[in-house]
Amino acid sequence: MSKKLLLAASVAVIMNASPALAGDADLEALRGEIRAMQQAYESKINQLEQKVETLSAQQNKTAKRVAATEPAAGGSSIPATSERRINDNSFNPEIGVILQGQHQSFSADTSEFAGFAVGEEAERGSEGFGIDETELNFSANVDDLFRGSATVALVEEGGSTEVEIEEVYVETTSLPYGLQAKAGRFFSELGYLNSHHSHADDFADRPLPTRAFLNGNYNDDGVQVSAVLPTDIYSEIGGGVYRGDDFPGGGADGNDIGSWTAYGRVGGDIGDDTSWRLGLSTLQVEGGQRSANEDMVVFDGDSGLYIADARMVYAPTGNNAEQEIIFQGEYFHRDEDGTYDDMDAGTGAVAYDDNQSGWYAQSVYKFHPKWRVGARYSQLYAGDVPAGLAGSALDDSGHNPWGASAMVDWTNSEFSRARVQFNREELSDGNEDDQIILQYIMSLGAHGAHAY
Amino acid sequence: MRLLLILIAGLGVLVASPSSAFAKVNIFACEPEWAALAEEIGGDLVNIKSATNARQNVHHIRAKPSLLAGMRKADLVFCSGASLEIGWLPILIKKAGGPDVQPETIGWLMAADYVEKLDVMTEHVDRSMGHVHPEGNPHIHLDPRNVSIIADVLADRLTMIDRENTKAYQQNLAAFQNHWKSLMVTWEAGGRSLKGQKVVVYHNAWAYLLKWLGMDVIASLEPKPGIPPTASHLETVLKNVQGQKVTAILVAPFENEDAAEWLSGKSGIPVVHTPFTVGGNDKADSLTGLFEETIRLLKGGL
Repeated sequence: MSKKLLLAASVAVIMNASPALAGDADLEALRGEIRAMQQAYESKINQLEQKVETLSAQQNKTAKRVAATEPAAGGSSIPATSERRINDNSFNPEIGVILQGQHQSFSADTSEFAGFAVGEEAERGSEGFGIDETELNFSANVDDLFRGSATVALVEEGGSTEVEIEEVYVETTSLPYGLQAKAGRFFSELGYLNSHHSHADDFADRPLPTRAFLNGNYNDDGVQVSAVLPTDIYSEIGGGVYRGDDFPGGGADGNDIGSWTAYGRVGGDIGDDTSWRLGLSTLQVEGGQRSANEDMVVFDGDSGLYIADARMVYAPTGNNAEQEIIFQGEYFHRDEDGTYDDMDAGTGAVAYDDNQSGWYAQSVYKFHPKWRVGARYSQLYAGDVPAGLAGSALDDSGHNPWGASAMVDWTNSEFSRARVQFNREELSDGNEDDQIILQYIMSLGAHGAHAY
Repeated sequence: MRLLLILIAGLGVLVASPSSAFAKVNIFACEPEWAALAEEIGGDLVNIKSATNARQNVHHIRAKPSLLAGMRKADLVFCSGASLEIGWLPILIKKAGGPDVQPETIGWLMAADYVEKLDVMTEHVDRSMGHVHPEGNPHIHLDPRNVSIIADVLADRLTMIDRENTKAYQQNLAAFQNHWKSLMVTWEAGGRSLKGQKVVVYHNAWAYLLKWLGMDVIASLEPKPGIPPTASHLETVLKNVQGQKVTAILVAPFENEDAAEWLSGKSGIPVVHTPFTVGGNDKADSLTGLFEETIRLLKGGL
């Protein structure tokens, strides 16, 4: 609870709000201020109405002028109006399809994370051909204030193909003061990768810590608010509250807020060539019951995840179309207090109060408008296990899981990409797994712009 | 782990120091040509952030942090439009743009909405045709008549946003238009010898300039808009240009010149590095410089 209070206090400080304890005089002053604000807004609205009238009059004027302008040289076969026709379906949502397919081959028969109990999407994909992560997206402006988006994905789970809701949310588009609010099920702002769809990733699979700590993506049901602050360098703060049902949460009864997030980040440019972003974020699950390792391991308790992320993009003169180098890394630290029960190992519920960590670092070099190469290394560190969990999935047997990847991809246009990736992973002691992934990612129809 | 929360809160306090009262109009210009025009009409009354420079391909810009910071403060978003900035502007607007700079508001000025566009696709459009803009060619700024039209629109917008300084904006506009009209006469006279000349372009970014000057494009180095040149396509272009009198191969500062150099080496047609926008070379340091330089360089190929 003290953490919540502290958060509330922080928010109060951040917003430069009036002191929490207000006297009668203060209250009266506040009322006065609100009245003044009301009047100011009313007059502003009047002004705006006036502006709109002037604007439409002026647009008509310009349109007439354009029509009257005669080309000075060369004939013109351009129609007088270049407006697009408005059809009956012009209000239909934009539809986008991401077609993803891959072929994976593995040298090791099994792949288990030493010292970690993980969710289904943390595991390596299925061997052979697959169409994992094919996505279907519908989105549209709801009205002048809201935008809605729904993304469903085909995922391969336990040998069968399932339709999974990736994101279904509404968000505001035009709040003042750099504010934005989002509600529904969505990829929370958390570290770097979490808020991105996998089709935008620079590698065919996610790095080990993102898989182990976030099961690929944290997309819970809840509400998130963010604010881009009016500073010269970019700075943004935000946070959200959630049901707490998605990994690393679970078993939420909905009586209380199951989990919450908070983040802050800064970024900017260094000359024309380089842009950068740094962030800190946290995901706190309170009293969750997380099932992992195909429901054979259950963690019951509080789990706090802390992430530091960094990204830097270098392109000569900032011209990303020709060449660029991207450096990116995230550090994860998880603090857990509760009980672990490994039913496979028959441990029963064993008290656990320890932490785990992990990191990855990657770089991608675009050396030609169509070609990129990349390398990535990731590492996990499991916590010390109490005697009761010796020999269970939580026992890392002195091994820190690691993975190294190299990839080459070819981008024909912004709508198509093909990739070859080689991974070597040693997730448990002595079990080296060489993986080759061939992948294509193509986009049909509407496709929203990608964030930095 | 309260440390992290304290850090985040501390960060918030550091950066949330309120900005001073609304003084100048903050203009977020997507391209250098619009930043330059805003400078002409707004003068000292505006702060201008140019999102891109002349050496960047505006089709492929990342929605990077500095642009979010710029959009956060914008009172006027001034861009080419016609989907030129589709890969990054929507993110900036959604994330950091206030209610006064949303599409269809006074703070949203897309230049292509106000001029007659070329290359409008009225027939079936799909992406096998490359990076096409169905609503028309967005690179409208290289026709000085368009610049003049947009100058009027901009002055009206600035007047609506900042009424107190109406007089100053109208004065700046009048001064600009007077000067610009006399320059256009000079340029058109100077460019008369270019009429009917043929050029090869890298990307179809020169349509408005060439139409204004009465010049013809006979080939693009890109096989399709936005698709980088391929060896087989270049061979086809080479066959097309052989036996024709071609004045120049036009390359913008942000375009890869390898393909143009190859074609030049095989065909003898000179590569002309035109500035394309303000800042594209040392002499093109203003809108006036941009047009003077462009015509001078084109005539150099005659």
